[in-house]
Amino acid sequence: MAPKKDVKKPEPAKPAAPAKPAAAPAPAPAPEPAPAPKAPAVDLSAVKLEFTPDQLDDYKEAFGLFDRVGDNKVAYNQVADIMRALGQNPTNKDVAKILGNPTPEAMANTRVDFEGFLPMLQTVVNNPQKGTYEDYVEGLRVFDKEGNGTVMGAELRIVLCTLGEKMSEAEVDALMQGQEDENGCINYEAFVKHIMSV
Amino acid sequence: MGCGATKSNELQAALLIQRWYRQYVARLEMRRRCTWHIFQSIEYAGEQDQIKLYNFFGYLMDHFTPANSERNLISHIFRENEICRDIEWERYFCYKNIEVPELYSGPHLSFPLTVSNVADLVEAFKNKQQLHTRYVLQLLLESWKLLRMLPNINQVSTCQTKEITICGDLHGHLEDLLLVFYKNGMPSVEKSYVFNGDFVDRGKDSIEILLILFAFMLLYPNNVHLNRGNHEDYIVNLRYGFTKEVLGKYRLHGKKILKLLQKIFSWLPLATVIDQKVLILHGGISDTTDLNIIAQADRHKVKSTSFLLIVDMLWSDPMPQDGCIPNEVRGGGCYWGPDVTEKVLRRHNLQLLIRSHECKQEGYEFCHNRKVLTIFSASNYYEVGSNRGAYIRLGPDLVPHFIQYQANRSTRELTLRQSVGETERSALRALREQLFAHKSDLLYAFQDYDTDNTGWISLKHWATAVEAVLRLGLPWRVLRSQLVTTTQDGMLDYQGWLRELPITEPKTESLLETMYKQRSNLETIFRIIDSDHSGLISFEEFRQTWKLLSSHLKMEISDEAILDMAVSIDFNKDGSIDINEFMEAFRLVDRTMNLPSEPNHTKTDE
Repeated sequence: MAPKKDVKKPEPAKPAAPAKPAAAPAPAPAPEPAPAPKAPAVDLSAVKLEFTPDQLDDYKEAFGLFDRVGDNKVAYNQVADIMRALGQNPTNKDVAKILGNPTPEAMANTRVDFEGFLPMLQTVVNNPQKGTYEDYVEGLRVFDKEGNGTVMGAELRIVLCTLGEKMSEAEVDALMQGQEDENGCINYEAFVKHIMSV
Repeated sequence: MGCGATKSNELQAALLIQRWYRQYVARLEMRRRCTWHIFQSIEYAGEQDQIKLYNFFGYLMDHFTPANSERNLISHIFRENEICRDIEWERYFCYKNIEVPELYSGPHLSFPLTVSNVADLVEAFKNKQQLHTRYVLQLLLESWKLLRMLPNINQVSTCQTKEITICGDLHGHLEDLLLVFYKNGMPSVEKSYVFNGDFVDRGKDSIEILLILFAFMLLYPNNVHLNRGNHEDYIVNLRYGFTKEVLGKYRLHGKKILKLLQKIFSWLPLATVIDQKVLILHGGISDTTDLNIIAQADRHKVKSTSFLLIVDMLWSDPMPQDGCIPNEVRGGGCYWGPDVTEKVLRRHNLQLLIRSHECKQEGYEFCHNRKVLTIFSASNYYEVGSNRGAYIRLGPDLVPHFIQYQANRSTRELTLRQSVGETERSALRALREQLFAHKSDLLYAFQDYDTDNTGWISLKHWATAVEAVLRLGLPWRVLRSQLVTTTQDGMLDYQGWLRELPITEPKTESLLETMYKQRSNLETIFRIIDSDHSGLISFEEFRQTWKLLSSHLKMEISDEAILDMAVSIDFNKDGSIDINEFMEAFRLVDRTMNLPSEPNHTKTDE
């Protein structure tokens, strides 16, 4: 892709468009099971930005790295990754909600510019879910059936692939590479230390 | 503990880990993109230097009125461009006097080549053997004779063979070529191939790749088509490792082989068209590309009238925006937009442009509404784990199918993090070199921002200044944490930082710095002057070279300063300078700046 320095000047920043809710849901054939009633999509135009100029410069640069097309925008399906690259830790569901729960097609084809991205990022920053070392260790301790500081790699794999925001086999392989000992066990405190040092 | 509570704990734990993992991957991905950016910028900046060198020589040709001694030097440099009659060339490259000794255990070739000859050749190279000079020269001579008869643009049809395979840049990566043959089958009358240029330089088996490709071309002239790349060029080879590789592998006759290749490269066809619908060439197009004009050109002549059109075909890159602008990053060719693609394809009734020239992480990439396809066949190009290679299979429906691969240099499996980390370390090393080479300019730029002369500037100004000096288009703020270790309240002690860049503090700082920055150019010039490839140039030639370069750079360098430098680098044996020793001095500077733990993955070594 051509480096950006010798292309024409970027268009002046457009005001952020508030995220529209996804098209009215089709009438459900049966009443939905009762989770909490869906809150209206996040109103991004009401979000007050609290970033310092330095932070804005940093974020803008990182944002540019994810723009594969050269239009100073990124696709909806990249928004979660950029936030994570910038140190936030939203779930995919959190991000989908901020984007207005778009269809998979909209996720791939809708693009947002930097000014539109900032309120999304601020929303996530305002609802931090940072994990500490203790949180992750506690999280893994759940699987420590023998209470000896290790978890079975195989069991962890199954859980990660079937529960929550499921991971693919390839993702789990990448996660666990080099961590299991010859009995297929993982010392989870060491594991967490290792993964947190990225 | 109730069942429900356990399940909920497990779910929470799973969510936690999954969320963590996705953050980890995203952060790695950003580092990977940065690293990619670094390598690409530096690679293209190097090519830019190369074109500047071309222009420098062109300028000399046109404008210089040299004093007597310098006239000799210049005619020295341009001796390569003499036009000899073909008969004289054939006699010069005569292989008949070269005996193949009994002890030679490599493959024997007979001409015309047979299938088993070529199979033996591939097998031998797989086993790290070398082809004897006699056969090399013979093979090259036959190749030259064939290439001379080919048109500038090969016309190929899928009705003869059902499918055509297209490979991109190989850059001396023999393991990738062998992998392609393994997965796809070797060329034959049933299996046509197009190789889209850049067979040599950077990787360590360039000559082997070339010999294999030429052998198949001779064996199946209707089925194996070679397009010229920007690296099939003897001046580029001087810089990017092919010349060094040949001289290292063929100590006695390397020079002859190189001279013959110089001719051969200029005779390589420029493009291939499939079914009059798919255009394949190495770099790209410009808004002046006209295949009818190109078909008429004298492609082997250095200064042919279509010279610029040809440069465009070998050096250009696509861009997302409409238009056509000079390619200032590479220094040659242009950037062309989707409107130009539309125009040129329509002009010639084509439906797809396939090109190479740019490394892509997945080995291939579409752009311009899927009208332009980049194919790149050297995996692990920047570093182990940096990218996959790919090739295309095209049937009569002209719909491309892709096969991707990645050759493993070693059998160890790298974790995602390790492979990103290694590539990153390599890139940062290269980047620190660049910073060091521009130290003086950086200092001036920093001082501009430090109006009160405090010795401190903000990180924001640091990033702006560095980009203004290096002009690599890199995300400096993102890279900051890797390049700048000590800051206070968002401010940087820039002199301290600059001091940390190199380890040795040379006496004649700015002169050494300039030489360091220009070392690739210097090496190229030296190798041109050393036209008999002996590895030695006289002290007088060295001095004249330096003066030429300094006038081009508009720098004042006195004779005493050059002498001082020569003395301090300590190379005055018999009034001649060993080029390799001179360049070694720079490699020593490299090494002191490096982080620990070789292995060294640079492409021109070995």
